[in-house]
Amino acid sequence: MPIEITMPRLSDTMEVGTILHWHVNVGDEVSAGDLLADIETDKATMELQSFDDGRVAELVISEGNQVDVGTVIAMLAEDDEAIVEETPEKPKPSIPKVTESAHRVSPVARRLAEEYGVDLLSVQGSGPSGRIIKRDILQLIDTASETTAAAQTTKVVPAEVVPSTVPVTPVQQVLPLAPTSPWQQNRSEPLSNMRQIIASRLVESKQTIPHYQVTMTFDMDPLLEMRKTLNEQLSKSGVKLSVNDFLVRCCALSMETNPEFNASFGGDCIHYHGPVNVGIAIALPEERGGGLVVGTIRNADQKSLRTISQESAYLSNKARETGLSPEEMGDTTFTISNLGMFGVDNFTAIINPPNSAILAVGAAIEKPVVRGGELVVGNEMSATLSLDHRVIDGAMAALYLKTLKELIENPASLLV
Amino acid sequence: MKVTTKERVIEFRDALREAMCEEMRNDERVFLLGEEVAQYNGAYKVSKGMLEEFGARRVIDTPISESGFSGMSIGAAMRGLRPIVEFMSWSFSLVAADPILNNAAKMLYMSGGQFGCPIVFRGNDGAGGQLASTHSWCVESLYANVPGIKMAIPYDAYDAKGLLKTAIQDDNPVFFLESERLLSTKCHVPTEEYTVPFGKALVRRSGEDCTIISFGRPLHFCLEAAEELAKEGIDCEVIDGRTIRPLDIDSMVESVKKTNACVVVDQSWSFASVGSEIASQIHAQCFDDLDNHVHRVHSDDVPTPYAYNLEQAYLPNTRKVCEAVRQATYNS
Repeated sequence: MPIEITMPRLSDTMEVGTILHWHVNVGDEVSAGDLLADIETDKATMELQSFDDGRVAELVISEGNQVDVGTVIAMLAEDDEAIVEETPEKPKPSIPKVTESAHRVSPVARRLAEEYGVDLLSVQGSGPSGRIIKRDILQLIDTASETTAAAQTTKVVPAEVVPSTVPVTPVQQVLPLAPTSPWQQNRSEPLSNMRQIIASRLVESKQTIPHYQVTMTFDMDPLLEMRKTLNEQLSKSGVKLSVNDFLVRCCALSMETNPEFNASFGGDCIHYHGPVNVGIAIALPEERGGGLVVGTIRNADQKSLRTISQESAYLSNKARETGLSPEEMGDTTFTISNLGMFGVDNFTAIINPPNSAILAVGAAIEKPVVRGGELVVGNEMSATLSLDHRVIDGAMAALYLKTLKELIENPASLLV
Repeated sequence: MKVTTKERVIEFRDALREAMCEEMRNDERVFLLGEEVAQYNGAYKVSKGMLEEFGARRVIDTPISESGFSGMSIGAAMRGLRPIVEFMSWSFSLVAADPILNNAAKMLYMSGGQFGCPIVFRGNDGAGGQLASTHSWCVESLYANVPGIKMAIPYDAYDAKGLLKTAIQDDNPVFFLESERLLSTKCHVPTEEYTVPFGKALVRRSGEDCTIISFGRPLHFCLEAAEELAKEGIDCEVIDGRTIRPLDIDSMVESVKKTNACVVVDQSWSFASVGSEIASQIHAQCFDDLDNHVHRVHSDDVPTPYAYNLEQAYLPNTRKVCEAVRQATYNS
C-alpha cells in the first residue's frame, strides 16, 4: 500500500502550510526520520520528517504552493511497490489539481481573471483561507490600468470588455522620463506568510491597545565597564555578553516589584503571569525573506547572565538560519526590541500582544554629561517603554523605569 | 404610473376582499367558505360585508373540520365550481393534508385530464406573534414540494389583490399564503381592475453588490437591511419572488449575474426548503458568476417558541439579513 504524506498541523493555529522546499525527489529512498521538506506555517518555517521507510513515489504538491492541513502532499511507496509513474499500463487520469488547487478562487474571480488575462498565481486572495475573490481581481485591474497608462508594460489587457472611460493613448506625452532601472518600476509582490502575520497582528495591536510611551535615559558607564571586565575574564570559555543580555536580566528582575509589566489585559480582568518570559525581537536577513520574530527566554528572572547570553545567541542564530519552532517563540510576557547595534538613538515599538509593554532600546552613546555638577564624557542610553494603558498607568511606568535604572546603573546586583 | 388625483391607499385585508368580491361578481361559480367567514365577517375581517352582498349560499360558514370542508370544496371544483377555501391559519391545513395534497394537487393527473381542480386555498401563514409552535406554521417549503399546485405569497396590498384575482381565475389549485403580520399594512391600490401574473418576480429595490431574494413577510426585513447596508456602502438588490410555483428563477439569475452575490431569505426551516431549492438553482445557473456561495437566512431549526424574546430570536430579522449579506460579500 502506498503511504500518503499529508500536510501536518505543526501548531495549534495552523490551518494552511506552504511547501518551501522539497529535500527529496521522486524515486529517492527515505527512512523514518529523514528530512522531507521545509514547510512554512503561519508562525515559522519547520522541517517535515518522514514517519515511514519507503521510496518517494510522487510529490503531489510542488514547491511554493499552499495547501490545507491534511491535504496529501506526497506519496511514499513501500519497498517492492512500483512507483506510479513507472507503470505504463495504468495511465493516471489527468485531473488538473496541483498548482491551482492550492489557490482558492471564487468562480467569478476566475472568470474575470481569464477575461482580463490576470495570472491568478500572482494574486493574493483576501477571502477566507486566502480565497481570491472578485474584489481582488478588480483592484488589480484598477491598479494595472493606472500603471499601464504610465509604463507601457501591458500585463493586463482588458480585451473586449474595455470600459469606454479608460484613457488609452494621450497620457504618453506627459511621461518623458526614460525607462528606469528595475527597482524603480512599480511592482507588487505577494506577502509572505510572515509578513501577513506581522501585518495583521501589529494592526490589531495598534488599533486595539491604547498605546502610550515613556522614555528614560540611563547612565551606561558602570554597566559597560562591568561588561568589559566580564567579557575579558570569560573570553576563554566562549562567553560574550551583549548589552541586551544585561537588559533582559534587568527587565526580568524588575517584574518582582512591578507585576503589571508581566501581565495581560483580559477584557474583564488582568492576567498576571507566573513565569517571566522575556521576548527578544530578532530581525531576519533579507535572503530569508526578511521580517522579524520574537524569541523567548523563559523564566529569565531565574537565569544568570551567562545562561541568558547563551540562549539569546542560540535563538538569534537559529532564527536566522533555520527558523524558530513555535516553542521557541511562544508565551512571551514582555518584549525587548533593541536597535542600539544599528546606532539608533531612540524609537518607539508596537506592543507584542498579549504583552502589556515593550521596551525599545537605543544605542549607548558617548556624549557630554553632567555628573555631580561637572561636565564630563559619559555613555548614555535611551530606552522607551510602549504601554497598554488598560493595564499600566503613567506613574507605574515611571516606577518600572526607576527600578530598571537602579539595576542598570548599579549592575553588580545582576551578578547575584 | 403618474397619479394626478389623490392615490387610493387601502389595507392588505381590504385588497384581499376586493379581489374576492370582484371575482364573485364576475363569475357566479366562485364562492367562499371557511370557519367564521360569513356571520363573524372572518376571523381577521377579510370577508367583512361579503355575506350581506352575496348571501349565505355563496359565503358559507363551516364547522371546525378542515378535512371535511376542503374535501367537499375539491368535489365542487371537480364538478365545475370555483371555491375559495379560507383556512383561519395554514397551520390548520395540516389536518386536511390528504384532500389538498392527494386530491386537489393530483386530480388532473390521476383522472387523465378528465377532472381539473380550480380551487384557491387561502389563509394566514407563518408566525403571527406568540401563537406557539403548532399555530405558527410556515407551510411553503412543505407544500411547494408537491407537483400540481401553484403557490403565491403576496407582500403588499397591491400584489395581494392582483395575485388573488389571478389565483381565482387559474384552473389549477392555488395555495395562497397570507401573513397575519401584513394584513394591516397599506399601499396604493387602484380602483380599476387589474391582475398580477404568476411567475413574474418584482425587483423591489435595485442594487449592484448583492441580490437578496425573498417572499412575503420577510421582505420587510430585507428592505430594512438594504437601507442599513447602504450606509455601509453595500448596495443590495431586493427581489420579491411573488410566487413560489411557478418560480421566476430567470429574474433571480439575471440579478445574480450582475451582483455576483446572493442571499435567500425564507421564513421556513432551512432543511429541504424553498430557500435551499433557490440556492441550488442559483448555484447551477450562476456557477461562474458567483463570488461566494449563496447564503441563506431561515427560521432556526426548532419548533416555533412561544416566549416573545425566543420567537424574535428564532425568526429571520433585519440583523440576520445584514449579517448574511456582509458574509456573502466578504464584508464581515
